Amino acid sequence: MLHHLPVSAYTSREWFEREQRHIFSNTWRYAGFMEDVSEPGQYISVQAGLSNIFIVMGRDRRLRAFHNICRHRGTQLIRAVGKVQKALTCPYHDWTYDLEGNLISVPDEEREFGRLDKSCLGLKPASVDIWKSMLFVHPDPDAGSIMDWFGEVDSLIGPHEPETLPEYEEARNTYEIAANWKIVVENYIDVYHLSHLHSSTLHMYDHAKAEYGFVGPHFTFWEPPVPDYAEDQDSKLPAPRVIPADQNGTWVPMLFPGIGLAASEDGWNVFIVEPVAPDLTRVTNRSRVANASAWAFSKQAARSAHFWSKFGLGGKYEADDATSEDDPMASGDFTSEDIYACEQQQKSLSSPHYEVGPAAVGESPVLTHQDVVLKWLDRQQ
Amino acid sequence: MNHGFYPLTVQDTREEIGGLAKSVIFRVPDELRRIFAWRAGQHVCLRFVIDGHEQRRSYSISSSLVSGDPLQITVKRVAGGLISNHINDVLERGDVVDVMAPYGTFCLDTAPNLRRTHYFFGAGSGITPLISMIRSVMCNEPHSTAYLAYGNRNADSILFREPLAGLVEGHGERFGLSHVLSAPSMWSGFSYWRKGTVDREAVEALIAENPPYAQDAQYYVCGPGNMNNTVKAGLMLLDVPASRIHMENFGAEVESDTSVSGIAANARIHLDGRTHDVRISQNQTVLEAMRNAGLSPPYSCQSGVCGACRAIVKDGAVHMRARMALEDGEIDNGHVLTCQSVPMTDRLSIQFD
Ligand code: FES
Ligand code: FES
Ligand SMILES: [Fe+2]
Repeated sequence: MLHHLPVSAYTSREWFEREQRHIFSNTWRYAGFMEDVSEPGQYISVQAGLSNIFIVMGRDRRLRAFHNICRHRGTQLIRAVGKVQKALTCPYHDWTYDLEGNLISVPDEEREFGRLDKSCLGLKPASVDIWKSMLFVHPDPDAGSIMDWFGEVDSLIGPHEPETLPEYEEARNTYEIAANWKIVVENYIDVYHLSHLHSSTLHMYDHAKAEYGFVGPHFTFWEPPVPDYAEDQDSKLPAPRVIPADQNGTWVPMLFPGIGLAASEDGWNVFIVEPVAPDLTRVTNRSRVANASAWAFSKQAARSAHFWSKFGLGGKYEADDATSEDDPMASGDFTSEDIYACEQQQKSLSSPHYEVGPAAVGESPVLTHQDVVLKWLDRQQ
Repeated sequence: MNHGFYPLTVQDTREEIGGLAKSVIFRVPDELRRIFAWRAGQHVCLRFVIDGHEQRRSYSISSSLVSGDPLQITVKRVAGGLISNHINDVLERGDVVDVMAPYGTFCLDTAPNLRRTHYFFGAGSGITPLISMIRSVMCNEPHSTAYLAYGNRNADSILFREPLAGLVEGHGERFGLSHVLSAPSMWSGFSYWRKGTVDREAVEALIAENPPYAQDAQYYVCGPGNMNNTVKAGLMLLDVPASRIHMENFGAEVESDTSVSGIAANARIHLDGRTHDVRISQNQTVLEAMRNAGLSPPYSCQSGVCGACRAIVKDGAVHMRARMALEDGEIDNGHVLTCQSVPMTDRLSIQFD
C-alpha cells in the first residue's frame, strides 16, 4: 500500500482504465488557453479521458464543443487545430456538418441510402466553458455550470486576473515523466518536500508559513515570501509585478484532477497533468506574465539581478557530489528535481519489498488526494 | 381560482421621462406574497372599470424581486390610449387597483451558481421587463455578465436613464450599457454608442465588441414587433440557436393572420380540475366561446402578446392567428393561446395549466 491506495493503483492497466473512465472522462478537462479559439471558425481538438472533443467558435463568438466522431462510421472528423468557414467535412465519405453539429449533406444520399433522417445524425454535443482564462470541456452535454465545480475555490487561488495577462509563449513546454499521474500530483502537493528536495531552488518562500488544505476535491496552497525576499520586493522580482502591491506570496493549487496552477507576484502558470499510461504522465506548462514591454522586462531583470546573485539559487548537490554533468540534483532547477524524485519513486514500486513509512504532517495532502481518488471511483461505480 | 384579481393598494407613483410615463408601485400584503412572487420578465394584468366598461391591460413588472424591490410597473402614455393615460393622469398613492397574479413565459430565472452571458436588446418601453432581468442578474448571479443595447429617439426619451447609469456605476465590470439613439439632439451632451436603431449591424457590433466569456450565452429581445424581428434575424444570421433567443413584443400592434376562420367544433375543456363541454361556432376563438359559456378562463391582452390564456391542445388541432407569447419549443409541445385559436377539427380537447 501507498498509505491509502494499493501499489497496483500506480502500476496496473486496470486502475489506469478505471481512472480514465470514471475520473478523466467525467470531470471538466483543461483544453487550452482562451486565445487558442478566439475567432469564428477556429477550432482545436483535445483528449478528455476517453473522449476526443473539439471546440469551435461560431459566428456569434460563442464556443461549441462536440465529440470528434463522425456519425457515419465514427472517423475522427478534425485534426488538432485549424480554421473553417461554415462546415466540417469528414475525410472518409465526405459527410458534412455545420458549426452547430447538424449533418447538412451526405454524398449520393438518394442513391446510397434512400431517405435518410439527417436530423438524428448530428454530432454529439459536449460542454465547453472558459474559467480563469482557460478553456474547459466536459464530455457530458448537460454537465451544468462550471461554477458548480470550481466555484468554491474561485476566490482561493490568488488575486490574479489571468484574462488580462498575455501568454509568455517561450515558456510553453510539454514533457513526459516516467511515473503514474498520482505520483506527479502527490509530489506537487507534498508540502514536506519543499524545504528538502528544493532546499536551494524554492527557498525564497517561507514553507513553514504555508497555508494549505482541500476544498472539496481541490487542493489549495499559499505561502509568503521569506523576509529577505519580501523586503523592498519590487526591486527583487525577476519580472514585472502582476498582482496588487499590497499582496504577495505564491499560490500553488492543484485542482482535481491534475489541473495545477502556480501563481506568484510576477507570473501565472498552469501545470496540467495528463495520464498516458500507468507509468507515464504528460505535463503541459504554459505561462502568463505582465502586460508590459520587452524593455520593462529587461529593466526588471537587470534591477533584480543583484539580489539573485547573492541569494544563492543552486543545485541541491554541489558539483562534487553530482553523478554526472547533467545530474538533475545539481541542476538548480526545481522541475528537474521533481521529475527526478517522481521517477525514482515509481521505479521502486515494482519491488516486492516496497513499503511506505509514516506520513509527515506536510504530507497530509498526499493522503487526502488518495482519498479523493478512491471516493471518486467508488461514487462512479 | 388564481385566475382572479386581487385588490392591491398603490404605495407610490413616480413620473418618468418628463411625464410621458409613470411608475406605479404596489403594496403587496403578506398573505399575497407567495401569489405575487414574480419572475423577472413577467407581467401583471390590471383591471379598470371606466364609464361602466371593464378594461384589462397587461404591463411588464419593471422591478426585480431578488433585489428586494416592491412590485412596480411602468406605463408609457400611448396617444389616445384609454388606460395608459388614465394611469398617467389619475392613478395616485392610496388608490386600489385590481391586479391579476404575475404570469408570462418571457422570463429570466437567476441562480448564484450559474455563470452566463446575457445579451439584452430593447427599445422604448420594451426596457421594462429587461431592467427587471438585468437587476436580477446583478443581484443574484455574481459570476454572470450582462450587455444591453437600448434604442430610443433621443436622450430625453430614455426610460430609466438614471437607474441604468447607476447599474453601470455599481457593476461596471459585469454590466455593459450601449445606448442607440435614432434622433439624438445635437445640443445634449449625452454620449451614446450608436446612431440609428437596434438593427442587424447593432446586433453584430454589440456581440463583436463584447464576445461572451461565460459560454452559456442567452439573448433577450423586447421592443416593437419590427425591432424584434430584425434582431432575431440578425442573431440567426450569426448562427445563434433559436433555443437561446427569448423574445417579447412590445408597443406596436401585432400582425395577426385572420385569413383563417376555423370551423365549428365541440370542445372538451379541462379548467381548474373540472371538465366542461363547450360549443365553438365558426370564426369564434376558443377563449370567446368559453367566456360566452360562462366559464372564467385566465386571459388578459386578448391579442396574443401576454400568454395569460395559454393551454395545451390534447386532441384535435387549432389555427393560431398570432403567437407572439409562445416560444417555438412551447408550440412544439402543443401549447396554444386560446385567445388566438380557432378550431381546425370538429373535436377538441384542451387542458389549462
Ligand atoms: S465515416 Fe465519416 S463520412 Fe463515413
Ligand atoms: S390573453 Fe394574452 S395572449 Fe391570449
Ligand atoms: Fe516539487
